[in-house]
Amino acid sequence: MTGAGGFLGSAIAKAAANEGHEVLSMHRPTSPLSYADDIAGIIPVPGDLRQDGDWRDHLARAESVIHCAAAASGDLATQLGGTVLATENLLTALPDTLARFVHISSFSVYDFGAPPLMGPLDERTPLERRPLRRDTYTQTKLMQEEMVRAHCRAKVIPLVVIRPGAIYGPGKDWDFGRALRVGPFDLIFAPLSRMRLIHVDDCARAIVAALSAPFDDESIVNIVGSNPPTHWGFHRRGRQGGAPLGWPVPVPYALLRLLGGAAWLTSKTFFNGRAQLPELLDPPRIQARWRPLRYANTRARSSLGWDEGISVANAVTEMLLPRSGT
Amino acid sequence: MSQGALRPLRAAVIGCGAIAYEHLPFIVGSGAALPVALCDRSHAMAAAAAAHFEIDVALYTDAQSMLAAERPELVHILSPPQTHDSLVRLALAAGSHVVCEKPMTGSAAETEELLAAAQVAGRVLVESRNLLFNDPVLKLLGLIGSGRLGEVRECEILLTLDFLGGPMGDRNLAGPGVVLPGGAVQDFLPHLVYLLQALTGVGSADTVVGEYSNRSGNLRAQFDFCDVLLRCGKVRGRLRVATDVEPSAFRVIVRGSDASVETDLYNPFLRFEGAPSVGKRYPLGQMLAGFSLAGAGLTNLRNKIGRHGTMHGLPRMLAAVYAAIREDRVPPITPAEMLATARLTDQIVALGKPA
Repeated sequence: MTGAGGFLGSAIAKAAANEGHEVLSMHRPTSPLSYADDIAGIIPVPGDLRQDGDWRDHLARAESVIHCAAAASGDLATQLGGTVLATENLLTALPDTLARFVHISSFSVYDFGAPPLMGPLDERTPLERRPLRRDTYTQTKLMQEEMVRAHCRAKVIPLVVIRPGAIYGPGKDWDFGRALRVGPFDLIFAPLSRMRLIHVDDCARAIVAALSAPFDDESIVNIVGSNPPTHWGFHRRGRQGGAPLGWPVPVPYALLRLLGGAAWLTSKTFFNGRAQLPELLDPPRIQARWRPLRYANTRARSSLGWDEGISVANAVTEMLLPRSGT
Repeated sequence: MSQGALRPLRAAVIGCGAIAYEHLPFIVGSGAALPVALCDRSHAMAAAAAAHFEIDVALYTDAQSMLAAERPELVHILSPPQTHDSLVRLALAAGSHVVCEKPMTGSAAETEELLAAAQVAGRVLVESRNLLFNDPVLKLLGLIGSGRLGEVRECEILLTLDFLGGPMGDRNLAGPGVVLPGGAVQDFLPHLVYLLQALTGVGSADTVVGEYSNRSGNLRAQFDFCDVLLRCGKVRGRLRVATDVEPSAFRVIVRGSDASVETDLYNPFLRFEGAPSVGKRYPLGQMLAGFSLAGAGLTNLRNKIGRHGTMHGLPRMLAAVYAAIREDRVPPITPAEMLATARLTDQIVALGKPA
């Protein structure tokens, strides 16, 4: 697997090893696998997919691949290198005899304007048709997924594309639903919209299950919690659990769209439509992040035999444990 | 001017990394160029650039094949510096004019050879120096040209930028971040040198002293610090590059016998200081300075929103280069200027003491 030093990658490596797999865990040299010594079956493979290296020899031994490596942030060049170039290098080094390629994509590739308001977003939802209006992460994840699908089709490698929602857990709390902090107040955008949360360990179990579950040659599975909280509800749980959060101030989705529309009009009028709008005022990104939708995980349950094991309440308690202990 | 001269030039790009995303808006949108091909060792990177600019052009992973198939009239060479020499020669041999990102080579001797090759081929070869076309630099040149500074005596240029935070200093990657004798600093140094030369009118230095070193211990950068003093007749210069201070800045100060002027190319302002306002004029001088700062702040905000960033001089430079080629005129950056910059850069890099 690639990206084994990351937040999700380390959880996948542990889960796969616990399932009895021997995990060739590729990680960047500056992100050593602190957990490798404690878990049998994890073999660290230091390397960087942006460059040739010994990792190619290890890859030749792999029976299946979980591709989790990507640049989740940074400028366009950083994300092109860490996501697109890295994936191209990985694909050119793949053994043709691979039993399965499990690709970790993202919910961000979807067109969030496609489902009706409050409607379901699932694997049948169309992908973003105009990526250039979205952020760099979406653009590069779309390119990455397209490259993987094209390669696996050409080489007849069975492919499972996993699209996780917003992965959370200890160390990643999505600011408990807060969009912006203003002094003692937390602005909660679209307070009644559901967050597409999935706990990192639940997500990792689903991905490991995808290694051996019966699938067609190319399958897509969304991984998201069954009853994710609203932004308001997640913030409330965080406050109740003792997270250092401010007083919540709701900003309805309709008001967000109104502000976004005003910003767009200003851009059109004064900047020929080229103004660089902050995410909070950019209509396509407002829609992608806060539009009220329902998220389905029916296919994950049926095809992977997977179910959510960690409730949001327990997860929040776990996430705040270090604070409670001090 | 004939109709033929107004025809857009068939342009190709070699190297589809970050800097290609600065060149391509001009190539795609100016009307002076007709994009015909993108070339990168990574097909995915070439495809990503084509998708980003929504252009339907041929994609190549081999420069020689691209040049043979597309016969571009002008090639933008935007790949890493160590690849420039062979690519420039290939492009010239294919009959193309060339715009090459800086630094075009690692030394003045190599620059001289490439310029000679361009002359033999009868083609234009231009090393990019986009900052000369930025608003603040044009204003500085205007002030100097109008004589308001008097005789230019000093020029200080300071670049502070955390370039170790990017690929140049990324310890996950093997090998040097930049393959140049002067390491990572040399990747930026031509900007400072050509600005100094343009603002002072001085081409070469009598003496160059100072420090050119590695202060971070990150050997991938080879060199990450430069602080040198130059003396060129009556003119003094100081050029500095540092990664270990904040905020990021590209500060330029020119001091003349009558007045001084200061600007920053990252967050532009212009502070002109002539004879001090004293006596009854003192409050007026203070008020005007305040208005000037407030105005610069508003302008910066407008520039940030309008994406008028530090690279805004590049399309102007490219427009001037394309116009020179199309109209068979002398390009805005001459071989003599490129060679002078390379020679002075050599003198500075020679101070280098590896970690």
